[in-house]
Amino acid sequence: MALVTTPRPGVKRFISVDFDLGALRTAGTRYWAFVTILLVGLTLGGLAWGNAMTQGGAAMAMRDAYPWGLWFTNYMYYVGLAAGGLVVYASVHLFGAEQFRPLSRLAVLLAGVFVMMALLGIITDMERPWRAVWMLLTPNPTSPFVYTGSAATLYMIVAFFDLWLLFTGKGGEKLAFRMTLIALPLAIYMHTTTAFVLSMNKSRELWNSAMMVPIFLTSATASGVAVLLIAAYILQHFGILKLTAKMFRSLSTLLATVIIIDLFMLFVEILSIFWPTSAKPGHTMRFSEFLTGRYAFAFVPVLVLGVTAFILLSRRSTRHLPRVQITASALYVIAVFMKRYSLMSMGFAINPLGQYAPPYAPSLTEGLLAIGILSLGMLIVTVSAKVLPLAVPEDEYGHGEALESGRLEPIADGATESG
Amino acid sequence: MNSWLVFLQSARLRSGVMKTLVLVGALVLLLPTATAFAGRSSTGLLAFYPCTQCHPVTIGADGEPTEPLPIDLEKHEIVLEVHDTLGTDERACLACHDDPTRNPGQLILPDGSLVEIMGDVSRVCQRCHFEEYSEWLVGIHGKGQPKCSAAGCHDPHTPSWIYIAALPPFQGTGLEIRVVSEREPFAPFAGPPVPAAVETPLWLTIASIVGAFISLSALGYLILGRFKR
Repeated sequence: MALVTTPRPGVKRFISVDFDLGALRTAGTRYWAFVTILLVGLTLGGLAWGNAMTQGGAAMAMRDAYPWGLWFTNYMYYVGLAAGGLVVYASVHLFGAEQFRPLSRLAVLLAGVFVMMALLGIITDMERPWRAVWMLLTPNPTSPFVYTGSAATLYMIVAFFDLWLLFTGKGGEKLAFRMTLIALPLAIYMHTTTAFVLSMNKSRELWNSAMMVPIFLTSATASGVAVLLIAAYILQHFGILKLTAKMFRSLSTLLATVIIIDLFMLFVEILSIFWPTSAKPGHTMRFSEFLTGRYAFAFVPVLVLGVTAFILLSRRSTRHLPRVQITASALYVIAVFMKRYSLMSMGFAINPLGQYAPPYAPSLTEGLLAIGILSLGMLIVTVSAKVLPLAVPEDEYGHGEALESGRLEPIADGATESG
Repeated sequence: MNSWLVFLQSARLRSGVMKTLVLVGALVLLLPTATAFAGRSSTGLLAFYPCTQCHPVTIGADGEPTEPLPIDLEKHEIVLEVHDTLGTDERACLACHDDPTRNPGQLILPDGSLVEIMGDVSRVCQRCHFEEYSEWLVGIHGKGQPKCSAAGCHDPHTPSWIYIAALPPFQGTGLEIRVVSEREPFAPFAGPPVPAAVETPLWLTIASIVGAFISLSALGYLILGRFKR
């Protein structure tokens, strides 16, 4: 049984993966128009990075009051979006959720690309990026950045290695299962340490809450599943993936479940902050800025969009409708970005001395850097959709169940090159 | 498009929107209702008598100081923030340290007798703050805190400063916080200095405009192409 596609004209095999470069030659003008938009974004991002390297911090809106900026918002956001891919991938291999198997390659691709985008945010924020190596050579063990940065790097490597395994079939279901056993704890570790970057700041009262960690995990999973659902619909629309309504229904049920857990966690955190006998003045004062202060424009939509998304998905009679699923997913993806932005900037808006700083707005250079990184990520996925075999061959469906029931022997190493 | 309109006009969605509005409204009403203060003060020790910072005391073999503390109020320059209502210069000091020998270690009680500075100084505070003293006696003021003298929590010279003990697992000698009266609106500190302006070169702005124009053109082609198709 061949687990890789048979080479044909225009297909180049590299590292045992078939790259269908011929598909790019036959791509339509609308595909290239979209790629042009992404290339423009990428170019602008490159120019902005050049500007940041030559001008230094003066090109950024990050000042004494805001030592972190849009890059950190995006770091938290992209790391979270990567979670959805892993949840789906892990549920196939660990829990036998076979309905998600057709999504597994896309899910892992998105996970790897999102983490890569998160790491690029850190690299481009460094005015001397070549000094990044010193973080590896002389790490400060008390800094959570050491753990989240290294976890993200490892996670990216594991995700792309997983993707390669899925394409080539090397190691079979057994190795995929083992890789999931590595990747899932690694993902939890990565999201936990990202939350620790905030929650372990004793001087920043808004962030100094243990609830930050579970909220990070649930927000990450919800937004990740939501963005995966949207991507799956787009690829199905263009005929790249063939997915069933049952799969989308399962995915939206999973999404609704994670959203309500996420909202519940947020509610518990808000209750602890405002409850008269548990409130701490610094924390309460800062959080009030979220609800009635200068950051209400960013945080109140989080509640409105989040609750709306859940209500849309909570009705069993309409949950199966694609437009409901896409709308709810889009609302939650936006809501989580707003949450990340307000969380990052509001944490700095009142400094430890109680001094108020004007709201943070990224500079043009920071904005273009973010657009450049987003364009690069979307470009990789757009080209991969044409070139890489993202569709899971139908003969792999039910592979896990068959393996579990003993109907199918695990595929031995090296048995995949027969095609 | 029609299916969208039908969906938007459907009774199910309307009821969903209503539920959203009710939930969000309830959240908005619930959240800003309370601001509160919670803190744990006092160690049971007198935290605001750092006499030995300036007057080091050596204990002799008999367990008594080898050299007694000097007796006078000179050089005790303390800026009073709240207790400045007691008067100016030495008069403010004598409001409490009213010992004929000018011994700062002696404080005067309501009945005119003297009490050691390390003794029960709460009764000194009682002379003016009799309501708080009564509440403290019956356990209302300082509820939940270790029972100790007033100076175990308050700085006697500026009572709005309160000593907070470091609770386990934190290390250190604790910290002081300043209580703001509920009647007094919170006044934040002055903002930090105005940050330097962001430097964006003109070429990058022009490149952005050109890039936006190209992207919008391509986007327009994508959208129009969809309709033509």
